[in-house]
Amino acid sequence: MPTKKGGPRPMRPAGDPVAAPKKAAKPRVERPSPAPEPVAPVEPSKVPRRNPMFPVGVAYWPLDAETDAWSDWYARDFDEDFDEFADARLAIVRLFVSWKALEPQVGQYDDAALDRLEDLVVAARERKIQVLVTFFADDRLAEMVDVPWGKKRDPRTDAYLLQREVALVQRVVNRFRSEKAIFAWDLANEAFASGFESTEAFVAWAAMMREAVREVDPERPVTVSVDPETLYRATGVDPRKALDECEFATSHVTASYRAYVAEGPLTSGPATYVDAFLLRSAARGLPVLLDEVGPPSLDNSPAEEAAYARTVLYAALMNRSAGVIFRRFRDLDTERREPYFRDPWEVLVGLVDRHGRPKAAWGEVKQFVRMAAHIDLSRHTLLPERTAVLMAAERYHALPSLAGLYGPRSCLQSYISAKEAHVPVTVAREDDELTAHTVLIVPSVFSLSSEMWERLASFVQNGGSLVYSYGGGELDPVVREVFGVEFQGDAGARRSLSCRVAQPDMLGPLKPFDVPLDVPHFALLGHGGATVVATDAKGSPLLTLNTFGQGRAAFIAVPLERAFAQGDPWSPPAPAKHMLRCVYGAVARAAGCGAPVACDAPEVEVAVFNGDSDDVVLLLNHSNDKVTAGLTFDRAVGTIADVRGGGAASIGDVSFGVPLDPNGAASLRVTYE
Amino acid sequence: MSAKRAPKTQAPRPLDLAEDLARNGHVWPAVEAVHAALAVEPDDPKALTLLAELMLAGDFYDEAIAAAGRAIEADPACAPAYLALGLAYDRHGGMWDQSILVWQELAEVVPDLVTAHVQFGEALAASGFDEEAIDAWRRALELDRSDARAMYNLAVAALKREGVATALPGFRKAGDLDPSQDELFFRLAGIEDDGEPAPDPAEVGEDRTERLFAAGALAFEEDMIAAAEIVRLLLEEDPDDAEALAIAAYCYLKQEAVNEAIACALRSLAVNSKLQTAICVLGIAFGKRPGLNRHASRVFQALAKVADHEALPHVMLAETLLGLQRYAQAKASFRTAVEIDPSCVRARFGLAAVLLTEGRHSEAQWQVRRAAYYDTKRQRLFWELWDSYSGGGA
Repeated sequence: MPTKKGGPRPMRPAGDPVAAPKKAAKPRVERPSPAPEPVAPVEPSKVPRRNPMFPVGVAYWPLDAETDAWSDWYARDFDEDFDEFADARLAIVRLFVSWKALEPQVGQYDDAALDRLEDLVVAARERKIQVLVTFFADDRLAEMVDVPWGKKRDPRTDAYLLQREVALVQRVVNRFRSEKAIFAWDLANEAFASGFESTEAFVAWAAMMREAVREVDPERPVTVSVDPETLYRATGVDPRKALDECEFATSHVTASYRAYVAEGPLTSGPATYVDAFLLRSAARGLPVLLDEVGPPSLDNSPAEEAAYARTVLYAALMNRSAGVIFRRFRDLDTERREPYFRDPWEVLVGLVDRHGRPKAAWGEVKQFVRMAAHIDLSRHTLLPERTAVLMAAERYHALPSLAGLYGPRSCLQSYISAKEAHVPVTVAREDDELTAHTVLIVPSVFSLSSEMWERLASFVQNGGSLVYSYGGGELDPVVREVFGVEFQGDAGARRSLSCRVAQPDMLGPLKPFDVPLDVPHFALLGHGGATVVATDAKGSPLLTLNTFGQGRAAFIAVPLERAFAQGDPWSPPAPAKHMLRCVYGAVARAAGCGAPVACDAPEVEVAVFNGDSDDVVLLLNHSNDKVTAGLTFDRAVGTIADVRGGGAASIGDVSFGVPLDPNGAASLRVTYE
Repeated sequence: MSAKRAPKTQAPRPLDLAEDLARNGHVWPAVEAVHAALAVEPDDPKALTLLAELMLAGDFYDEAIAAAGRAIEADPACAPAYLALGLAYDRHGGMWDQSILVWQELAEVVPDLVTAHVQFGEALAASGFDEEAIDAWRRALELDRSDARAMYNLAVAALKREGVATALPGFRKAGDLDPSQDELFFRLAGIEDDGEPAPDPAEVGEDRTERLFAAGALAFEEDMIAAAEIVRLLLEEDPDDAEALAIAAYCYLKQEAVNEAIACALRSLAVNSKLQTAICVLGIAFGKRPGLNRHASRVFQALAKVADHEALPHVMLAETLLGLQRYAQAKASFRTAVEIDPSCVRARFGLAAVLLTEGRHSEAQWQVRRAAYYDTKRQRLFWELWDSYSGGGA
């Protein structure tokens, strides 16, 4: 089990066939063992105010009301708000530079405005809060980049304005370069970046601004707060090259991206996984800060906003985020407008209402920060994600190819299924180093290049495990070798899916089923040496497993992930979902990177932070129903306690149950016998 | 002397090819064909409209909005483009103001398009304009008194304003308008629409099976008098013919003779207690009498057990539970129905109603939107407007 207690972790038996070693059925315990005996808490004596390795912050926008003018940029009294931040133990506040306010005339800087910015930075420093400064941002209200002397030229590409931007950046950085409260420089937000029309222009702009910062401040981190997925989806601009030059990346979900990939309520179903999915996909070897967290619209009740905040905070911590920054502190006081017109880049919904009264979400933030402070991330480390969902290069294909549109949805469904199998999983892209992973899932792709097939073959030959679901079209000849199947063509679309298990327990506890599900393709497979694990109702192979070199390759004959995504992602047929979970879970388990803790509730996400003498286990309920998560460990659990302290309950068993409220979370400190 | 040339076969125009492919659900090749058409004529409103519809079929709303917007720019009278644009806004969510404008425009271009009024109402309701939304749904019902979704929306609006008790009759009425319960009865009876007309009553032979099928087929075509006549012949042969009694019960039910329907269904069940058609009719008949809700609930519970692959028994069970104010159980049943059939509009509205009683407004609103999603997909309205537009209409 995940602990370092008493030396290295015992290796799991590398069983063959792939199935997990059979264990005697263990009785499921619904609740922590009856009448737990109080045990002395194991909490260290002094707990920090907040977790230094997982900062939580908030964006502090310059205007709070639509009636404010651009010149009111941070003109309000901000002490009360900053006191509130300090009380909530926030670590970061994000401030926005207004070019219009700072440089009202060409080359003439308003010292009063710069002083105002300094006052904010000092106020943050006095409260031990760090500042993330964003230079070029748009909120559709404060006109921060609309310099009147710009004569409507595009600040992203106009040579003269670019010079002025460099001058502004250097002036601000120069003023604050010795200021310890400045945490990092952020070149632009996504609303500003969405105005770029080409990747080249964006990359050149980011390089120029970065260079401008570096000339003055060679040390401090620089970033551009755009999410590579959402920006590409909205504009066709691929910012990855620019982000690779940054010291850390950012990730967030835009309203438009959410509507594309998982339209629906924020607090249940696929929508609850989107933030973490993008977080994983943004990580390109860099720490990723989850920013602009918050409901994108006014549709949600305070309780739903709170549930959403809780879900994102826990998901961020459980998925290796470098921290979280909320979208807005205070609700924007809007004018009466009929009908209400909402721009996707408007920033409206905050953590407190327009009068400063805290909303339920603010309470969630405070509670989370206090909880996270009790997890020492230098002592407890998240188990590595050695399984990755591969986002194929076809994601960047433009219309009329639909592969670029289907790809992210299939990947999200695949990611969710892996999470539901409780496999520690991340997202990789074709140009990433594949050897960083042990298991690769290639979900419902239309086509891969021959070169990519060769890389996958080499990956499997060298001991990797591959799960591939057929996405349509022709397959590379290498498939015959790697998967041990003879591809005989595409049988076309079907309105239903059947499964008959030929080899029980080889790919997990599969069950036969017949369900209505629109599957767009079905690969007809001939015998080529692979073991047929399951077939359809007519005996055509549905799941196969093959050993190739030192690795294993599982083939799913239908694009199951795409079928889930294009059907009703909120209620895909349960037996089909179960099958996918089984396949992912079994392949990962056999490769030694399966679920660290068995959990009987697929909708509960589990993360294990491995420590020396104890582990920290975080649980997050992705559904809006109550659930009891039955956890089964590899060895007997001695005690469990809430990480925040209090009495520990003795367990003395490998299994126990944790009741979770709708969208609820639990953080447990676990010791072993 | 000259050699005879073989007649040249003309390759179909890319747009015709695209239309053909789109009608047959081949989205990807259709998109490629549309792009080929747009390469020749970039501002062709028909090609752009078709592209919008194809993007909508794949749930790619941003792309659909862009294409439909360009189509409308090219031809402001292009009704199918308005439909695609409005649906794209609604399915995207959060773009209600734009949606309102589009449905208003479409209602002007095609004034008798019921769906435009229903969608218009839903967009208004989502924006908080409840009174205007109710007006829009009433207008839809004026145009088509049998539009179940307009009635459901009115019931949901009543629930929001005045609570469950006031809303229940609306839900019942909407349920009656919904053709799904008739479809369920015939599915359970094994009668399908094969495109052939029902047999002529005069030509039906004396064989029981033949008569039973004829009675069912005639009832399917709503010729209740002829169906009842054949049932009479069957019952003369065997007064304890449970299946014939079930069809008789259905015929009575459709004639609003609820007591007679109950009597026939009970008689049928006395002969065969597991006959699904009889259970179905009995439940529906009980459900029509508000005082018999508890009975209806038990009957639907039994039906849900024996026909567990069907969504509607769970929906009807949930509706009776709603009437009994057992909201948690009703929610569970509605959810089961949605799991069995995500496109069940009636289950979505019912679930929305329960969620509203729990104060989960945004989730309820999403269920209403999801109902609209499936209802508008089922209608295939786009092709009606497309044919009219292609034929020179709006």
